[in-house]
Amino acid sequence: MRDLPVWKQMIYQLGLALVGLFVLVPILGLARLAFDGSLQGPPLDFYVWPREFSFEPVQAVWGRIIQGQSFVGGLGNSLIVAGGAMALSVALGASMAYAFARMRFPGRQAGLLALLVGALLPPVALMTPLYILLTALKLRTTLLGLMVVYTAFAMPFCIWNLRAAFQAVPPELEEAAALDGASPLTTFLLITLPIALPAIGVAALIAFLAGYTEFAMGWLFVDRAENVTLAMASSSYISQGSVTWNQLAALALLMSLPVVAMFLVMQRTLLQGLLIGGTET
Amino acid sequence: MTNPISPFLAPVVGREPARALTAAQWTLRAMAIFTVVVLALALRLRAAERLPIDYDEDDYLRAGQQYATGLQAGDWGVFLRENYRTEHPPLSKIVYGFALAGLPPAPEIPDTPTTANPARNLPQPHLFAARAASAAFNVLAVLALAALNPLAGLFLAVHTLSIKYTSQVMLEGVPTLTSLLIVLFYLRSEGRDRVWLALSAAAFGLTAAAKYPYGLAAVAVGAHWLWQTFPRDGRPGLAALARWLAPVAAWAALALAVFFLADPYLWPDPVTRLRESLFYHAGYAQSEAVQRAGFPMWQPLAWLTASALTFGRHGPAFVLSVDPLIALFAIFGLRRAWERQPVMVLWFGLTLGFLLVWSTKWPQYILMLMAPFCLIAAYGFQAVVWEPLARGWAGRAEGRRGRRPDWRGGLRAAPWLLPGLVVLAAITLYPLVFQVGVALTDFSNLSLRDGMTGGVWREVGEGLTGRAEPVTVSFDRKGLELHWAGPGLLLDVLFSGSTILAFEVIWTLAVVAGQTALGVAVALLLRQAGVRFRGWWQALFILPVAIPEFVGALAWGHLMHPTYGWVSLALGRQLEWTNSPEQALLVLATAAVWMGWPLLMLAAGAGLQLIPAEVYDAAAIDGATAWQRFRLITWPMLLPLLAPALIIRAILAFNQFYLFYVFGYLTSGQIPLTTLAAQSYFVFTPTFGGMFSISAAINILIVLVLVLFILWFNRWSRAGEGVTYA
Repeated sequence: MRDLPVWKQMIYQLGLALVGLFVLVPILGLARLAFDGSLQGPPLDFYVWPREFSFEPVQAVWGRIIQGQSFVGGLGNSLIVAGGAMALSVALGASMAYAFARMRFPGRQAGLLALLVGALLPPVALMTPLYILLTALKLRTTLLGLMVVYTAFAMPFCIWNLRAAFQAVPPELEEAAALDGASPLTTFLLITLPIALPAIGVAALIAFLAGYTEFAMGWLFVDRAENVTLAMASSSYISQGSVTWNQLAALALLMSLPVVAMFLVMQRTLLQGLLIGGTET
Repeated sequence: MTNPISPFLAPVVGREPARALTAAQWTLRAMAIFTVVVLALALRLRAAERLPIDYDEDDYLRAGQQYATGLQAGDWGVFLRENYRTEHPPLSKIVYGFALAGLPPAPEIPDTPTTANPARNLPQPHLFAARAASAAFNVLAVLALAALNPLAGLFLAVHTLSIKYTSQVMLEGVPTLTSLLIVLFYLRSEGRDRVWLALSAAAFGLTAAAKYPYGLAAVAVGAHWLWQTFPRDGRPGLAALARWLAPVAAWAALALAVFFLADPYLWPDPVTRLRESLFYHAGYAQSEAVQRAGFPMWQPLAWLTASALTFGRHGPAFVLSVDPLIALFAIFGLRRAWERQPVMVLWFGLTLGFLLVWSTKWPQYILMLMAPFCLIAAYGFQAVVWEPLARGWAGRAEGRRGRRPDWRGGLRAAPWLLPGLVVLAAITLYPLVFQVGVALTDFSNLSLRDGMTGGVWREVGEGLTGRAEPVTVSFDRKGLELHWAGPGLLLDVLFSGSTILAFEVIWTLAVVAGQTALGVAVALLLRQAGVRFRGWWQALFILPVAIPEFVGALAWGHLMHPTYGWVSLALGRQLEWTNSPEQALLVLATAAVWMGWPLLMLAAGAGLQLIPAEVYDAAAIDGATAWQRFRLITWPMLLPLLAPALIIRAILAFNQFYLFYVFGYLTSGQIPLTTLAAQSYFVFTPTFGGMFSISAAINILIVLVLVLFILWFNRWSRAGEGVTYA
């Protein structure tokens, strides 16, 4: 790497810092609210640092996000629902994605298009039918029911992404295994799956986010506080009208932490997954 | 190649491959044109009889009356003295004068301000005569367009906006014909034949004398002409420049002369009267009547996809409406039209750009670009309907020798597909089918019990077998029982969804363009040799993707809140963006760009690594500037690699929901914008609407639009298969 002249380096860093500012300002805006103990309602004048720095709002939401529900309880629900939807999507979709990536069968093109259509349905399109289906199964207000709903949102797109993950595995490896007498299932389980694992992780993460961030549909199903997810709890802060801005901001930041942590851990894989995805046609 | 000696003789028009028509084909074509013209005439006369009286009709009828009175008295000076509503040139009004001159005089229509409501009644048969005169000119326009392309003529003949505004006493009839003739004569001249060029100039003059902005067709012609004859290989100099500009200048001068001749009101005092007439419009665009209409910048797009059935009191004036279909074909036809008839596309683009910028946005302005629009739609129809059908037919005639479906492969794949298929069938396919059923009924939160116990299928079954009469669906008519509503609801949503659809188009374009620009720029910046802290910056920039969309929306909502937002507190004043659709678009699009741009940065970064460095070395030897390197190398090589990510970003932007939900709440429902997905949700939610059937119809519209988008994008880039992570 050759050294840049200092002034050029400065200009580049300045440009990057501007972009960094664009990225950070909204988040800092939330943070200044989340750590301000003085706020009752919305802020009334301009300041950069919290007026009264305190962990009080964070503690408040930690103890109670909605009537009779603590943050940890809500996080648990979120993880069950979003994680379950993710697991269902990957487990049930992986073999289908593999078939689309590797095999030739009648209706393949139409099927691909149908998958994409499924991926672009707005969530509300699935509401009434799922409502009826889950009521009939007596699952409507349970976490399991919500898990099914979020699976319906996440699965088509997840299959689409999984297909890309499998396509990125060099077919020569599978051919070699087949020559050695491995059955298609063995090849899939022992060769393709392990190689594709990082990319599958990315597909799973995207599926997880779909359920983790959803609240509008959730409120049409769940009616008990014990089953409320974090996203649903935060949305109820807004829709109640009397917004306690600092607690809402604290909750929003708190609920982002697990995902941001996951992203940082998976960053390398994520970049690789995108690299593969971007080059493969 | 351009001939430097006589640019005037250079061929400028790319024509369709000339083929000699056989006698049979010629007859067929003539019959098609004849049918189209008769249809156009019939539809317009029907509308002229039945359309209720609209705004401004009394004004122009009064103008016609003044001329007719003068004509009947043999007083030709009336053309020099009178031009009622001086802001518009008089040619159309003179036409009305001649149309009324043969009729017995009626009491003079009173002078009312332009903003007055439509007149209660106007004298007959005078009204019909004037309407028919206007319609006649538009029928001639249909004839002219059909001669170029019969299908385009058909589209122009049946377009309800075209019918409505040319079958009323408005100013549109005459200039729809003359503006089309500017272009058609120019095409016929191929830039060489002086007679046709002179005719084109004359048509330009007449157009300007009928209604100024229709002259944009001539601007397109001028631009195309200058571009084609630009002296690229000659020695640059004053003489070459003069030779280049002279023919176009002569053409424009001739047009000016014709304009002056056709506008007798200018003769006594040209400068003052012309200035008054022109300056009126700048003032009018700021006037209260225009402001009160409150149309957003992109409203013309909505007019383009709407049907006249959806606004105003149309009465039983129209027989059928396929306007949204025409708009659809136009999307698919743009590329082919650009290859075959660039002038027409130029005309269309220039006019659309003007309408988007100009702040007065009445629906009749759309007629300025109706002719090229219909031609583009005709090409689209050929490309996506006619040719695939013809190919299919030819394939069938050849016998089924094509590829046989691979059933054995299907059998092998079946066990792999089965688990996913079963689940998808239950949780997405069944809901989708159910949605179609719901959209055919009046299912609402009141009839939930009935709908949950099979009411939807009962009603659909009865409706399809003709045992139930369709009801009209509305928010005030909710019952405990479901009813069959027929396809009317779906059609209603299709037709009236165009305002939101127009916003969606602008929205998606703005968001994806913003994300791409920022993402590619930062990716390039990070790739510069020697930049420090690259990894840190990248980790920071990925942050918005890791943050749940809801939290991002909340952060931006707290930042931009009109009263309590960080920005408004810093500025120390209330922000007014919720009052203006354009500013609201800017605020929301910034937030949406923030949420998605890092993914494009990653995709662009991955793509940039694939461009070999040698290409740049070669360009550096050739002395390319940094901008040229980007324009000519980086961007063209990067675009195909970005295409998959672009598709996904476009779809996600189109379906953006949480952002609008959160902003809607934070601003107490004051934001003037909504996407179809958000609209569908609010209509669905029992607290707001509880109209499940309307929501279902909107969802079906969304699916239709996005499927078409993907098909279109696939034709365009063949990248659909490569769509991967997002």
